[in-house]
Amino acid sequence: MRLRIAIGALALAGAGIASYLTVVKLAHTSPVCPTGGCATVQRSRYSELAGIPIALFGLFAYVTVFATALRREEGAAVAGAAVALAGVAYAAYLLVVQLAVIDAVCTWCVASDVVLVLLATFTVARLRQSSS
Amino acid sequence: MSKRTKIVLAAWGAVMIAAALIGGTMLATRGSSKSAAPTATIQGAAAVNRLLAGIPQQGAILGKPDAPVTLVEYADLQCPFCARVAVGDFPTIVRDYVRPGHVRVIFNGLSFVGTDSVTALETALSAGSQEHLWNVVQLLYANQGTENTGWVTEDLLRSVGKAVPGLDVASMLAGRSASEVAAARVAAQQSATTAGVTGTPTFAVGKTNGVLSVLPASDGQTVRSALDAALVR
Repeated sequence: MRLRIAIGALALAGAGIASYLTVVKLAHTSPVCPTGGCATVQRSRYSELAGIPIALFGLFAYVTVFATALRREEGAAVAGAAVALAGVAYAAYLLVVQLAVIDAVCTWCVASDVVLVLLATFTVARLRQSSS
Repeated sequence: MSKRTKIVLAAWGAVMIAAALIGGTMLATRGSSKSAAPTATIQGAAAVNRLLAGIPQQGAILGKPDAPVTLVEYADLQCPFCARVAVGDFPTIVRDYVRPGHVRVIFNGLSFVGTDSVTALETALSAGSQEHLWNVVQLLYANQGTENTGWVTEDLLRSVGKAVPGLDVASMLAGRSASEVAAARVAAQQSATTAGVTGTPTFAVGKTNGVLSVLPASDGQTVRSALDAALVR
């Protein structure tokens, strides 16, 4: 139960970050950014896929993980872990892109990365804990 | 379902989702992942750098800060007429009035045409904090694309920045989200509203620190006549 609460809380935090980045992207404005790299990343070609903001994919992922935290079923635990792990893999890829290609780091994206790593840890722990 | 089966299922699902996302991104950005090095060809860089070399810049101001006459330009970096004036008439105004110290010019950038205007203006304003706004403005005009086609790419901006001697390109790009840039955009819009500007380019001329008069037309001859009149007053 504690793990599901933690997963739900983290998913909500991640959804908050992703919502902010989605709104900023769709409004064509610059995010508040302590490092200054957020605008560069948000305006790069890597900030959208097929015309859809990457942040919106993130929001969808966080909402999905939140939904899995609300349910007790084993399938929900599997789905939550799958989405969180995929999120970590994609976030790692985007972090490499920021450092090696865009040459700028988005602080909001890094914050989201941290949330994703924690989510992956907790969702896998839930998977291991759940009854076989 | 055994614990092992669940973990394998989750891992398999994660691999499939991540592969789809990463593969999709790599396909969508094909050709842009070589490096962050700018690749756009910049027209007119040598001419612009020659035109502005040695003339003081302070934020949006070009010319001696205590020049007797001030010329304000209300412009949108996507506006084709602004580009025509910038490339056609502006160099002679700089040579005849600004370089000798008679006139200072203030760029009052607006961004009503579209999102490319916003990106271009924020970049120019950020370059202004390094006293290179006018180089970026003139180079963006010289390399202007069709309105709202997404022509103001990061690659173009990097290439423009690289063409300006002494400009820190990374700082220029990072500085676009600074609060000073946002404040400058708001102030420029307020100034245009107060002056009754209804289109771009619009020029206003007058004694420095005095009342400026908005000119009825934006062609080079009208601007030069207004500058001459203001200088003899």
